[in-house]
Amino acid sequence: MEGGTQGKLSDRFLGAADVVINWSRKYSLWPLFFGLSCCFVEEATAFTARYDIARFGAEVLRPSPRQADLLIVSGTVFKKIAPVVLRLYEQMPEPKWVISMGSCSNSGGMYDVYSVVQGVDQILPVDVYIPGCPPRPEAVLQGLVMLQEKIVATERPSRKVFHLGGGTQGTDRPVLVDGLTKARDSRGPGYEGTPLRGSSVTPPSFFGSRADVMWTPPARRIELTSRDQSLASVMEERFGSAVRQVPETSDMMAFHVDESRFKDVLRFLKTEAEPKYRRLDDLTAIDESARRDRVWSTGFAGAVSDVGAAGRFGEKAPSSDPNPDFTLVYHLLSFDAASRLRIEVGVSGESPVARSITDIWPSANWYEREVFDMFGIGFEGHPNLRRILMPHDWEGHPLRKSYPGRATEMPPYTFADAQRRQPLDAGIALRADHKMADDEEKLVLNIGPHHVSTHGLLRCIVSLDGEEITGLDLDIGYHHRGVEKIGERQTWHQFIPYCARVDYLAGAANDLPYVLAVEALADIKVPERAQTIRVLLSELFRLSNHLVWFATFAHDLGAMTPNFYAFAEREMILDIVELITGGRLHPSWFRLGGVAADLPEGWKEAVDALVSIFPRRLREYESLISKNPIFQARTEGVGPISLEDAMDWGVTGPNLRACGLEWDLRKKFPYSGYERFEFDVPTAAGGDCYSRYLVRVEEMRQSLRIIEQAAANMPSGRHVTDDYRFVVPKRADMLKDIESLIHHFVNVTRGPGIPRGEAYVSCEIPRGEQGYYVVSDGLGCAYRMRIRGPGFANVQAIPLMASGASIADLIAIIGSVDYILPDIDR
Amino acid sequence: MQPIADGGVLSPWEPGVFTLIVYSVLVLAFIVSQLFLASWLGEKKPGREKSRPYECGIIPTGTARLRYPVPFYLVAIFFLIFDVEGAYIFTWAVIYEDVGWPGWMQMSFFIVLLLIGLFYIWKHGGLDWRAAHKVN
Repeated sequence: MEGGTQGKLSDRFLGAADVVINWSRKYSLWPLFFGLSCCFVEEATAFTARYDIARFGAEVLRPSPRQADLLIVSGTVFKKIAPVVLRLYEQMPEPKWVISMGSCSNSGGMYDVYSVVQGVDQILPVDVYIPGCPPRPEAVLQGLVMLQEKIVATERPSRKVFHLGGGTQGTDRPVLVDGLTKARDSRGPGYEGTPLRGSSVTPPSFFGSRADVMWTPPARRIELTSRDQSLASVMEERFGSAVRQVPETSDMMAFHVDESRFKDVLRFLKTEAEPKYRRLDDLTAIDESARRDRVWSTGFAGAVSDVGAAGRFGEKAPSSDPNPDFTLVYHLLSFDAASRLRIEVGVSGESPVARSITDIWPSANWYEREVFDMFGIGFEGHPNLRRILMPHDWEGHPLRKSYPGRATEMPPYTFADAQRRQPLDAGIALRADHKMADDEEKLVLNIGPHHVSTHGLLRCIVSLDGEEITGLDLDIGYHHRGVEKIGERQTWHQFIPYCARVDYLAGAANDLPYVLAVEALADIKVPERAQTIRVLLSELFRLSNHLVWFATFAHDLGAMTPNFYAFAEREMILDIVELITGGRLHPSWFRLGGVAADLPEGWKEAVDALVSIFPRRLREYESLISKNPIFQARTEGVGPISLEDAMDWGVTGPNLRACGLEWDLRKKFPYSGYERFEFDVPTAAGGDCYSRYLVRVEEMRQSLRIIEQAAANMPSGRHVTDDYRFVVPKRADMLKDIESLIHHFVNVTRGPGIPRGEAYVSCEIPRGEQGYYVVSDGLGCAYRMRIRGPGFANVQAIPLMASGASIADLIAIIGSVDYILPDIDR
Repeated sequence: MQPIADGGVLSPWEPGVFTLIVYSVLVLAFIVSQLFLASWLGEKKPGREKSRPYECGIIPTGTARLRYPVPFYLVAIFFLIFDVEGAYIFTWAVIYEDVGWPGWMQMSFFIVLLLIGLFYIWKHGGLDWRAAHKVN
């Protein structure tokens, strides 16, 4: 062949160039600073001291796609964020690679739910998949090494580099198509037409549920205090038959109120009642259409009392609808008396309308938007009623019982969808929110959803005059994992793993309000040892969470060093968590009636080591930051919120205590044995970023005190209750006696039936008050699983703190509020 | 040592134009080669999304060519004035001994004048970013 020698020569040159180029690329990969959810925490941990991914040649996370060539899709790909993910990928220069990290990104994982794309490979080509939920940092290292091997083994970049035609580099795999090149069905291809196991017992049909053939005792009843009773009589006097007290409840006093009067009732309770219910703790709705008897029976358990109740409504209140299609539920909180109250309002129709209470509680704004979004209930008088969690062009209302819960019941989300379904334009959003006049000409800027400083998928839409923020609209819902809908199809035990993922930095502390709520409803007694283990783990996670907050907050304000320090102690805490539970971020360790297993050998030594070492480290951190003049200039007097506003807007946790109010649920509504511990509730005055900083740092000290006491005075006894009706029995018992074996079998397979009723329990998790409102219709899974996340209310108040601030201040405020997206969007 | 050539233009021993030219050509050639290699080497896949401005993954709204608020210009001008005057002072520092006391007096007068200007701006809030912003 002519020119053979020449061809060979150039081939040899190109071959050598391939080797050199691949070698250079392999050891200088630049990952994009891009995270979606839990997985990103582990990804970021891989960059810190213990794991140090720099050893493998991927040193610094790049904040802009223009500077990055590796996209690690870490976490859940939501349908609302998918167009953004695709755009970031397309904006990266050639060549580029993609690692899909974690089960969610790989396949949707445990989130087979309407809002989640079942695998990022449906919109992007993927080189390497890292399995795990979440994968450990070591797995990230392994993924990176596998990508490096792939580059060396399969890529021939020099022909592309020298424009000679041919050659391969970067990701060249095709995007996968459901049904052709991939199957979304987790059972694999070929199961079309066969329903998923367990789907028959979910709403709306409940066909085949065996919960009814198991006898369960009625739900717990509480005795009302004399103060509650006197308030009830005042209400009856004042509002007559429009207000009907729920005769028996499991958690707090409750009233059914007619829609015509409920606003008056709420205003009375906030401003005049004794005690005053100052705070709207939570506002949500229940779709009653799948109630098995369609009788308004919330608050009752057992068939006998149902009949009685229905009769009662018929006699006393002929005007009210005994079978409303939806129930609006308002949970109120009184600071003076440390008590809660529930108001339930029935509304009916295909798209019912209730009165908005935004003029009583400004915080109702987002809550009502959420109810509108999820249930299709309108609110008359709401200033800006539009979707909040779902994309603006979404169809249907996901929490209605008629709406499909699973993504696999819907058409697959494709590349074309990700191109077409763009997030709402920033200008439209600002104008819809009355944050910008129609004819105003301002610089409109999106900060987030992909931004280093927004700590997750939050989109701040700002209009700017120079550097000053003139309008701020927060666009949330990019992290909506549909966990409330999932709660309606998983059994009471199966739901526990989802809890920790609601606030992925607070781990086991998340499980607590859920298990307490179910325990309150079913009257499950928890042994003292289990309570103390729960406290121990919750406080360990408070420490670990505050350490991450400390590092990232300082980082936001330009201080890199704390990141490297704080993550070292965090690893120490996670080691203890791993020793006890076997997990890191999501231990799923609490169980109904106790915890999953007893403490292992060696736990006390590990905890003691932490207790002895930590105070000194904390002093070190403080000496880095607390008196730092730059830090003080950036935070003192920045982003203030008054106590009045904080109470009105439902701000909770350290953010509320930074306004000077000593309000901590661990003291005010002691749960899980917190009354046995000695600790202080740190507060600060001023409500600015610096106060929030001070409160959290002091909280770390107090948490450590609790941990010390829990370790020193760990009670002996069982780690799980010995009444096995609702709980998963101890393994040793299960192997020994037939009773336990039966309970184990039933409670693990189809799950226990929890008595009909409802309970709301709120706990002080690291970021504030997280409440679970569980409603049971007597079945094996919840009828309604409502999560009140602290972030939702805290973040809603950010525009208040940021009014008139500069962009740099906004970053400081965001860092100081310490929110987390999965708990805002759920 | 005596210079070999009298003219000195091409002499390697005396500072002259020739070395400067050689140096400049080398620098220029290096820069051009780097720019050329960077722009020519490697694969390019232009596209609509890639050429769109990056704004946190969202399609940007409106224009970035707005009327800038006045304080930005103020800061720029203040910077320019004081920066250029720095150049005068550095030059003076080089020939400090040659110009003697009269030079010192002149420069002191110049610096005092600058300081008066600085205090004037300070007093009127020109350095106070937020307040100046409000006034304008």
